[in-house]
Amino acid sequence: MRSTMESQSAAIRASELTKRFGDLTAVDHVSFEVRRGELFGLLGPNGAGKTTLSRMLTTLIVPTSGQGFVAGFDVARDPVRVREAIGVIPQALTSDLDLTGWENVDIYGGFYNLSRRVRRERAQHLIHMVGLTERANDLVQTYSGGMRRRLEIARGLVHSPEVLFLDEPTIGLDPQSRRAVWDLLEQLRRDTGLTISLTTHYMDEAETLCDRIAIVDGGKIIAIGSPAELKAMVKGSDRLELEVQGDAEKIVAMLRGQPGVHEVTRDPDGPIVVLADDGAHAMPKIISEIENAGAKVSSIKLERMSLEDVFIRFTGRRLRDEPARKGGFFSSSFGMPMPPGR
Amino acid sequence: MRKTWSIMRRDLLKLGRNPLTVFTSVLLPIIYLVIFGNSFQGVLKHLPVVIVSQDNGPYAIRVMEQMQALAAGPKTIAITYNSDAGTALQDVRDGVYKAALIIPPGFSRSIAEGRIGELGLFTDNVDSISAATLTGVFSQATASIRVNYVTAREPKLDQIVMRPNNLFTTVDYDRSLIPGVIVMALFMGSLTSGVFNWVMDRFMGITECYLVTPLSRWNLAAGVLGSSVLVTSVASVIVLAVGLLITGGTITGGAPAAAMLVGVIIIGATGILAMTFVLLARANNPRVVGASAGFLNVILFFPSGAIYPIESFPPWLRAFAHYNPETHAVSALKSILFKGANFAAISNDVTFLIVFTAIMLVIASMTVKRTL
Repeated sequence: MRSTMESQSAAIRASELTKRFGDLTAVDHVSFEVRRGELFGLLGPNGAGKTTLSRMLTTLIVPTSGQGFVAGFDVARDPVRVREAIGVIPQALTSDLDLTGWENVDIYGGFYNLSRRVRRERAQHLIHMVGLTERANDLVQTYSGGMRRRLEIARGLVHSPEVLFLDEPTIGLDPQSRRAVWDLLEQLRRDTGLTISLTTHYMDEAETLCDRIAIVDGGKIIAIGSPAELKAMVKGSDRLELEVQGDAEKIVAMLRGQPGVHEVTRDPDGPIVVLADDGAHAMPKIISEIENAGAKVSSIKLERMSLEDVFIRFTGRRLRDEPARKGGFFSSSFGMPMPPGR
Repeated sequence: MRKTWSIMRRDLLKLGRNPLTVFTSVLLPIIYLVIFGNSFQGVLKHLPVVIVSQDNGPYAIRVMEQMQALAAGPKTIAITYNSDAGTALQDVRDGVYKAALIIPPGFSRSIAEGRIGELGLFTDNVDSISAATLTGVFSQATASIRVNYVTAREPKLDQIVMRPNNLFTTVDYDRSLIPGVIVMALFMGSLTSGVFNWVMDRFMGITECYLVTPLSRWNLAAGVLGSSVLVTSVASVIVLAVGLLITGGTITGGAPAAAMLVGVIIIGATGILAMTFVLLARANNPRVVGASAGFLNVILFFPSGAIYPIESFPPWLRAFAHYNPETHAVSALKSILFKGANFAAISNDVTFLIVFTAIMLVIASMTVKRTL
């Protein structure tokens, strides 16, 4: 029986989910929903709390407080049902190097109690889907990083999960392998309607793949929406650079009053810089107003706001790497409490 | 069952593709057997001794004959003669000889007159084992000289002769080490195929893949235990077979004894594996397992009675040995291998091993966490 009716409509639902490691709050009262069939991104720098959030939802870490539901099951009260419903591709490459690609998928299917026949059929299909049929009987130690990642995606899908969690799936991969993983995820979303939760700190990855993105920083979700919606949340998200022939000071003053224009600046002898909403539509109107004022536009350049710009606007800084975690001999060797990769 | 078998299959395939890992569990104990068996040898031999005889009387000659008998028969000593006592003693100090035996002038006359004849034995007592051995064998050899000269009024205690009888077939020193090296194989196998793999999987992040599947704590424990006990037991049986081949021995009790040996090996492997999990399964780095392996091997193997009887240990070490599972495994294996298949003789050891294994399994299963 599903734990709540309310959560049935959502593939993932987090409600005030919190995780503390001693004095450190890695995830701080996070709430969000992921719709079924959606490719949802958790975007943030290393140490933002994405991995901890993902690990709570995949039952690897018990939440300190709050609730999480995946495929309708409570992660704390019904972890076995959650595990049956999810596929997880961790950040580290975890396929067994001493086994063949085929054996990796087949054995993993056994963990889900799949019969030999079903495992064979699924492994055959998935290995073909990720383009490794010809290398299926080779030891994984002969695979490239990209091949291992694709194999692990196949392995994570062997039991036909409802929700697939991927934690930094393209980290450390070359551009070609990265693109191959992206294509695979797009194909999965298109062909299977699988719900995918993608944790990443790559802006382009999130922007290219995700239907919606949650920007995570300092253990909190600071913004959530589609890439377009996130950009729209920032006033003056497009940047227009104009070179004009005429009275520049008068034009600057005139543009400041235009609707949708948020900021107009000009360096001495430099171009006029306009920050406006929806720059593509604002541009003809601005040109027209300048010409009506008796001046002439000699050049114009439009720069759309990137997701990175959005991130900077929301967080006040660029994506940065977390400082190296420090651990003494006992904490690092004997598993004394230390927050995971967050 | 399918889930547990999947874990076992994974481990067995991995170990099969890395035979060197298992091979070390077999090779190391066998090397120990060869090195220990040939370096300790049980009885000391060919100890270099210099004899300085300053007496030409009949009892001095009898002493010399006794020494020559020691050199020719059990080969305990290798004799060199010297006429100068000072040079002989210096040679002992310089490490040329282990001892100098000086037969002083008037030695024979003293005995002939009914007095005690004194010999000078100067040993290199820095090498205490050689010194004790030489003192012992020389005392034994020279004691017999006086037998004929005990007066009729004295009790003839030194004429009592003890005739040793062995209850079991003679067990050479190297053969007596076989139970010890089997237990060493149990330890090495448990470590390399069990807890080391477990910690390595965690270190590599592979454990995370297990934990997000519906595998239960029991599936995980049983799978790892099953594969490791199987591999360790097979490695230990190979060590047993090779050990018997090297030392030219056989299993005294035939097939029933062989079956009992395998039984003790399986119980021992399970207990030692569970114990290594209790001690090391929470380590986050396989280096911790590697660093602990040598230490644990020493503190478990040497007080196990595999090399030296535990009865001779100081009380604290004897107490430790009493609770050391390797002690009971060695004792049970010795009984079966050399005394025949007598279950009554091993029942105490087997009972201890079963109880120890059960306790360790319960604690070990608690170390298998279902979350990170």
